[in-house]
Formats: sequence, structure tokens, C-alpha cells
Amino acid sequence: MKRRNFLKGILATSFTLVSTASVLTPLSALAKVGAKNRDDWLTTGSHFGAFKIKRKNGVIDQVKPFDLDKYPTDMINGIKGLVYNPSRIRYPMVRLDFLLKGHKSDTSQRGDFRFVRVTWDQALTLFKQSLDEVQTNYGPSGLHAGQTGWRATGQLHSSTSHMQRAVGMHGNFVKKIGDYSTGAGQTILPYVLGSTEVYAQGTSWPLILENAKTIVLWANDPYKNLQVGWNAETHESFEYLAQLKEKVKQGKIRVISIDPVASKTQDYLGCEKIYVNPQTDVALMLAIAYELYTNNLHDKDFIDGYSLGFDRFVPYLTGEEDGIAKTVEWAEKITAVPADVIKELAKTMVAGRTQLLMGWCIQRQQHGEQPYWMAAVLATMIGQIGLPGGGISYGHHYSSIGVPSSGAAAPGAFPRNVDEGQKPIFDNNDFKGASSTIPVARWIDAILAPGKVIDANGAKVTYPDIKMMIFSGNNPWNHHQDRNRMKKAFHKLECVVSIDINWTATCRFSDIVLPACTTLERNDIDIYGSYANRGLLAMQKMVEPLFDSLSDYEIFTRFARILGKEKEYTRDMNEFDWLTKLYNDCKKANEGKFAMPEFEQFWQDGYVHFGEGKPWTRHAAFREDPEINPLGTPSGMIEIHSRKIERYQYDDCKGHPTWMEKSERSHGGPGSEKHPIWMQSCHPDKRLHSQMCESKEYRQSYSVQDREPVYLNPEDARHRGIKNGDVVRVFNDRGQLLAGAVVSKNYPKGVIRIQEGAWYGPVGDDGGVTGGAEIGALCSYGDPNTLTQDIGSSKLAQACSAYTCLVDYEKFTGKLPQVTSFSGPLEIGA
Amino acid sequence: MNKIAKEVSSELMSENQARAVVYNFLSSLFAKEVNQDLVSQLTSAQGQSFLSALALEPTLAPSIKVISAELAQLNSKESLLELAADFCGLFLVDGQTSVSPYAGQYITNDLSNSDLSYGEAAKDKRKADKVQVFGELHQSMTEFLTTSNMQIHSDFPEPADHIAVMLAYLGHLCLSASIDDQISFIETYLMTWLSHFTQQVTKHDAGHFYTAVAELTLAWSKLELNS
Repeated sequence: MKRRNFLKGILATSFTLVSTASVLTPLSALAKVGAKNRDDWLTTGSHFGAFKIKRKNGVIDQVKPFDLDKYPTDMINGIKGLVYNPSRIRYPMVRLDFLLKGHKSDTSQRGDFRFVRVTWDQALTLFKQSLDEVQTNYGPSGLHAGQTGWRATGQLHSSTSHMQRAVGMHGNFVKKIGDYSTGAGQTILPYVLGSTEVYAQGTSWPLILENAKTIVLWANDPYKNLQVGWNAETHESFEYLAQLKEKVKQGKIRVISIDPVASKTQDYLGCEKIYVNPQTDVALMLAIAYELYTNNLHDKDFIDGYSLGFDRFVPYLTGEEDGIAKTVEWAEKITAVPADVIKELAKTMVAGRTQLLMGWCIQRQQHGEQPYWMAAVLATMIGQIGLPGGGISYGHHYSSIGVPSSGAAAPGAFPRNVDEGQKPIFDNNDFKGASSTIPVARWIDAILAPGKVIDANGAKVTYPDIKMMIFSGNNPWNHHQDRNRMKKAFHKLECVVSIDINWTATCRFSDIVLPACTTLERNDIDIYGSYANRGLLAMQKMVEPLFDSLSDYEIFTRFARILGKEKEYTRDMNEFDWLTKLYNDCKKANEGKFAMPEFEQFWQDGYVHFGEGKPWTRHAAFREDPEINPLGTPSGMIEIHSRKIERYQYDDCKGHPTWMEKSERSHGGPGSEKHPIWMQSCHPDKRLHSQMCESKEYRQSYSVQDREPVYLNPEDARHRGIKNGDVVRVFNDRGQLLAGAVVSKNYPKGVIRIQEGAWYGPVGDDGGVTGGAEIGALCSYGDPNTLTQDIGSSKLAQACSAYTCLVDYEKFTGKLPQVTSFSGPLEIGA
Repeated sequence: MNKIAKEVSSELMSENQARAVVYNFLSSLFAKEVNQDLVSQLTSAQGQSFLSALALEPTLAPSIKVISAELAQLNSKESLLELAADFCGLFLVDGQTSVSPYAGQYITNDLSNSDLSYGEAAKDKRKADKVQVFGELHQSMTEFLTTSNMQIHSDFPEPADHIAVMLAYLGHLCLSASIDDQISFIETYLMTWLSHFTQQVTKHDAGHFYTAVAELTLAWSKLELNS
């Protein structure tokens, strides 16, 4: 047919799509002048630090560190990949079967299902209808909206605050207590030292560097972990680590790192190393205590004057209580630390000013309360708590703890709770005999066994019957343990709502998925340095929210509108009204102490500096006068023995610190014959938990054959025929994953490391992208929580026990499946 | 202008109008889910004769046949939702295990490397652009649109290198640019990735409709270049 006639034929039909608007429209006058004038550098902040951004035609072009950041993390190279990620949640979406059948939908294929796009109004109305249904049918115990996490920074748009305030205006719900990072530590330490310690400001680095003769880094890797912070991180700690490195080099300070692996900090500082078998730190601490006690090296005056219960502890130490003296020889068998090394360590600790710096990972295991308690006992016996450069810290690897604080007041935040006097629509507090607050890591257990009663921190917790969950800026399909158990639990949920920026596994396992914009697409403010309070940072909007995403403020303002409570929610203030208010409240709190310009000036400048702080010593006031400045413990003293805990009569957390065998332990411990390898799933070096794993270009700077790295001991790897760069299948009875081998002498025999935060991407038995909903599915990328066990640390904290985990591994020889972790929802067999 | 020239010009204009209608039709199918209104239009007498007219061209006939058959079955809310789920799974989620509707994830401005398949290690900037949306192709397309005094409608919050934008832009070019410019755009910005795109749609489509739409687009574009 002649083209001319053919086209004539088309035209002759006079067909035009009358009511379908074109995607194009004439250029508006605003756009003509707008975009190009906004190419200046703007300031913002993040967990990864503060930085400046230059745009090109409304798109982020260049990212560079903030002027004051002298030690920026290279993670800022991943920022663009977060924002312009192909896996952005572009529109509100609903799982098709949920849209059709609501709470009676088929949940058996969660994680592997079809979604459809809906409008914001449709999505939020469905969200509200689901809440109505749960509150009507089950009451507040049917809803868990308290599983919250690291969010993105910013005091106004904090995802947790918005979700909980808005949902709280509808009805009440189950909440969590504790967190995955420090669950055991923050529960035990108030009994022992009177505060959580883990999140408390610590002795200033300048005083430690000036006074300490020995620094013990116990399972602590600050050089890795200080790259990120709860608020915009200043990275000032790295200056002190650099000074410490110099002092180590000059022989002025001994740094002894006790760790099963050679850490990044060890490599950086060039410090002394003591290898200890995984999970055996308490045995090592007990032997040091035994050595101090039997050689009369402990500080009796300090113990008498500042602590309680040493007399109840000594019979256990000497074996009078249980027939086992905690000698160095006893400990050597368990810990593999030679007896003479333990003896030397004990002597060193009392030979001069010794600062103990504890990491968090040893409390993220079964009986995780014990190493923290025992370390406090050890510090008490050394007798230097409250002295500069002495005593114990549980936080010098976290968010610039130890950096002197400016003392300025930080800005407040958008309220997390409903205002006083406001009543929710479902004003019902009847949890039907179940607990309204449950330990953070027990929620999957609760979904699987509603009504079960467990012990927790001296109380009984009755599990609520959870039917609906809401996650906002939170990805539990990263941080919770045992994926297969999670799958079974999620089959029981009638409705799951996720609000996030990119398609996490949590989103894929949800029914309603809502797109939040990133921090770079909204205006906010943040303190610069969580503990340093170095200044106040403007987080200026760089670009308009991508696709159909909205800020957390806008999402829940719209939701409140549907509830008929918009004005109650926003207090009739818009984004900039709130920013102005938060700024002015902060300005008022700092009046007379710290000069702050008017808001408009601050916003233009992008930053106000509060200046340097003064060095400070933790527990100095207590040491000076324990009666006037008692600790927050029941006795006001350090509790080596806790009567309160003793009264709980827990078999897994007794009245004093105790060495207990684990449910599984490598190097000859239980289960090691079947699965001989201990898996360490520590905080990642190149991410903040799971944040930034999806940033592909940056991820490729460390991934191996597109997989998460698994760090292997050379001899173990050789024994299994594995070389650097191979793909490895890691497995146990709980699950299996693929990861890329990095063979390194930093990892001893019987130990592997897979950093947590590796995104979950299950694939079917045939390696196909579908089938990931099956129990036992292989994780294609290397999420270590495919393998970890979901048990509480003890009846006290009920914290997560990710570090009590044995595995084995082999070279993977099958057809390599495509990585599905960074994809949207996958359809069941099409 | 003499009479013959006027006739040629008028005829050319009619042809270009017809081509613009086709581009806008294709653009609308990639822009949004098929709704009841669109089904009504396409199954109306006028819509049917439009599809029939297209099907007179042998290379377009197979896909038009599938599209017509699929449209005939879209007679319930559920069937529209199922098709919407196909659309969502194909074009709205990620582009790694589904299909990216963005040219920039297949090609870059450095066309000497346009045959690189997506997903290869992105160590340098040229390849890195493929792993991010709103990349160089978005910038180029935005500039083209601005030059043409156009912008993307606010109801369509997508990068400018979205296939629906490129097709709509071609619809605009049909009525405003020289044939050479139109051909150049099709060759440079569409044909460099459309074949790959169509393969991806075929691979991932849960149904048949969008495979046919992608095939129709590819066949139409080839026809444009061959004529």
C-alpha cells in the first residue's frame, strides 16, 4: 500500500483521543525563567554528614562535603544514586488482590505479587478504611504502628513522628520498647550504672588522649562506625582518632583491641590485637577479674565507696558458688586467649589510667546483657570510673559521642504524639488483656503466637494479636532476624502499609505502598552533630519531589484531612511556618548564650555555628560525691549484684554477671560440629544499616559479582576450594544466601563477616526472579538475616540475638540468579 | 505559492497530521493505564476504523489484531485492573527485573556505546548514567522541549526521556519540524533503544496487550524510517 494512501486512510477516520490529555503542554511563563537561575550551591545534611549540592536544570548535579567537615565519608558519593534510583517508589500503589478483596485477600504470596497504581486519595482512603476495620474488629491491639527505625534526618519531616501522630489521631496501637542496635545494653545498664549509657555523652576525647595510658577497644570499631550519625554527622571524632594514631605511633598510649576479627580501626591505628573466640568475652572478663581479685590488684576503696554487691559476686568468681573458679586457664579453654596474655592484660589495666571503650556487637547476642554488666564490674574493680581517661564507655563509636558539646540547645521536632486534649477517632484503650508495648525484636514472635506470655525486664508481656502493621522510613526486612519466620508471620497479617523512598523488601511484602520523597526534596532543619551540637543546619530543598512522591509532612497532612483532622494535625501551620517555629523556639532556648540570626538570615546562610565545647568527664560528679550525685540505679551506686534482677529469678540473667553457654557457638561450642562457622553481621562500612545499599553505582565499589561481600578466612576458603571473587553459598538450617568471596587474613578460622543492611532479594528454586515468597528461598544478594536466629537475648531484655549464629559455606556452582533485592514487586508465575 | 505547490503542501500537512495522531495514540498508551474512557474511544466506530486503517499496513497488522482482541475483552472493572497491574509491573516499578520506560537507561548521549546492555558494571560516568533516572537524556529532552516552547504536563511527573514524552514530542515534531529533523530524532533518540525496549516488554509482560503496543511502536517507527 502506498504510504500516502495509508496515512490518508488514518486521517479519514478523524480519530483523535479527545479526552486523553497529552503528556506535553505549552511551556509556562514560570518555567521559562525559573529553573536556570537556581544553579547555586545549597546546603543540606544527612546521617552521612552535611554537604553542598549544585543543580543543573532542576536535577542534582554535584555533591561536595560541607566546608566544616574535614573527614567526610565517601558515602556521600552514593547520595545521587539514592535520589535518582530506578527503584524509587514513583506512585502510591496497592497490591491488586488487596484492592479487590481488602482484609480477606490472599496473603500467601506476599513479597511476590502484583500491584496497581492508585491516586493519593485512593491510597490514603484505603489506608484509613483498613485502620477502621482493624479498630472496629480487633481494637488497638490489632494494630502495630510502633516498629520504627533510623528514618532520614530532619526535625520537621521525621517519618516516625508523622506516621505515629497521624495514626494516633485515628486510634491507639501497639508500640515497641528498645531497639535492635543496643537492646540488651540499654536494658541492663540502668540496673548497673543507672542509665542506658549507650546513648549518653561520654568523656571527651581530648581528656582521654591527655590522660589515658591504655585504651581497650572491646569489640569496637569506631573508625568504621563513626562515618554515620543519628543527626547530620560532623566527623570531628576522626580528628581525635588521627591524634590517637599518632600517640600510638609515639608509644604514648597503648591501644589494645580485643576482637575476633582484625577491624578497620585496628588497621588504621596500628594497635595491639588480642583475638578472642566469638561470644566468649564474658569468660575473658571474668578471668581478668579473677586475676585482679586473687592478686589483690582491685581497687577496694572504690568498690566499697561506689558500688554494691561485690561480696555477692566474689563467690561466683572464685567458684565457691558454682564449683568453677574463673581462672585464666579456665578462660583460655573457652576464649582461646592464652593464660599469660590474660594475666598481662589484667596487670596492664591497673598499671595506669585505662579507658575501656565497648562496642555494641557483643550485646547483640544471646545473653547480651552479660558482657556489658561484666565490663562495668571490671571497670569498677579497676576503680577509675569518673576519672578523665579512665572508666568505661559504651558509646565512643556512635554519633560523635566523646566530641565536646557546644552546650547549645538543639531544635525541637514535629510532635510524635497527638496534642494534649486531642482524642483519637477510635478512643479505645482496651488492648484485651494484651500488652500495648512489646520488646522491639519480639513482634514476629507475637504475630506467630498471639496471647503468649513472656518475661521481659521484670514484667510479663502478653502478646497482642497483631493484624495490621505500618512502617514508615523503616525496613524490618533488613534488621529483623530469620526471614522464613518473617514470611510465616506476614502471611497472618491482613494489611501492611509501607512508606518509603525506594522499593525495599518491606515494601514488596506490603499491601499499600506510599512514596515519600528524600531529604533533598523538602525543607528541614537539623542539629549539626548529635552530641557535639556544633551548629544548626538548614536542609534546603534541592529539587521538587520526584514522580508522585510527597514529603512526610504532606503525606500525613493529607491523611489527617481524610480523618477530618487536618488543622489539629498541622496546628494550622505549613512547612515553613513549622520550620520558623522550630528555629525560633531553638533561638529562644539559646538566648543570651548562643547568638542566632533571624530565621530568614539563617535560611539564606544555610548554617549557624554554636562554637567549640568544653571537655567533660563522664561520671565525674558521681565520683566527686556519690551521695549528692547518685547514679540512677536502685541503690544510687554501681550495682555489681542487682537485688532487683535477682528477684526476677531468671535462669538466663541472674543477680550478677554470669558466663553462660550459647544456643550455638563456634570454636567447639554447641552446634559447631554441624555448622562450624560463626557469622558476624556487623554494622556496614559503606552503608547506614540498609540505607544506601540500593545506590547502585556506589554499591559497585564494594560488591563482588553484584553480590554483597562475604569476608572469609584464607585457610577456611582454601579448604572449600574458594578463591577471591567466587560466589559463595552460605547456609544453615534457617536459610541460605549467595555472597561474593573476599578472602582476607583479617578474618580468623571459623569466622566470616557479612555486614547487615544487605538488601533481601529471594529467588525461586530455579533461580528465577519469582518464587521468592517460598519458605527457604535463596537470597540472591546476601542478606545475613536470612541466616540469623530470632530469639530474645534473655528474659530480661528480650533483645535481638543476631550474633548467635552458626553457618557453613561452599562454592556456588549453579546458574547464578539475577539479584532481585533492588527491584519492585515481582509477579507470581506470569 | 502556485496551485500545485499548495496541494503538495496541504497533502503533506494531512500526512503529518495523521502521523501525529498515531504518535499521540502510542504516547497515551505508554503514559497511563488504560481506563474505561480510553476503551470506549478505541472500541467506538471511529476508534475501530482508526485501528483498521492502521492494520491495512501489513507490518502493523499483527499487533493491531492483538490490541483489538485485548480491548474487546476489557469489559469489566477487574479486567481493567488486571491490565493496570500489567502496566504497573512493566513500567512503574524499577526497570531491573521489569522494563524501564526511560531512554537514558538504554542509551546515553555517547552513542558510540549505545549497544551496551543495561546492567553492566557502571564504573565510569558514561555507564553510570544508565543506573540513574533523570540522567543526561532527561536533560537533552528537557532542552528540546524548552526549545519547542513545551514542557511536561504536571499530571505526568516523569523524566523527559520517558517513552511517552518522546512519542508525544515526535507527534509535535510532525506538525512543526522538517522531515529531516523528524527522521534524525527517530534515528538518534528512538531507534537506538526501541528494539531493546520491545524485547524487554515481551520478556516481562504478564499479558499480551503491552507486548503488542511495544511491537506496534517499533513497527511504526521502522515504517517511518523506511518511507
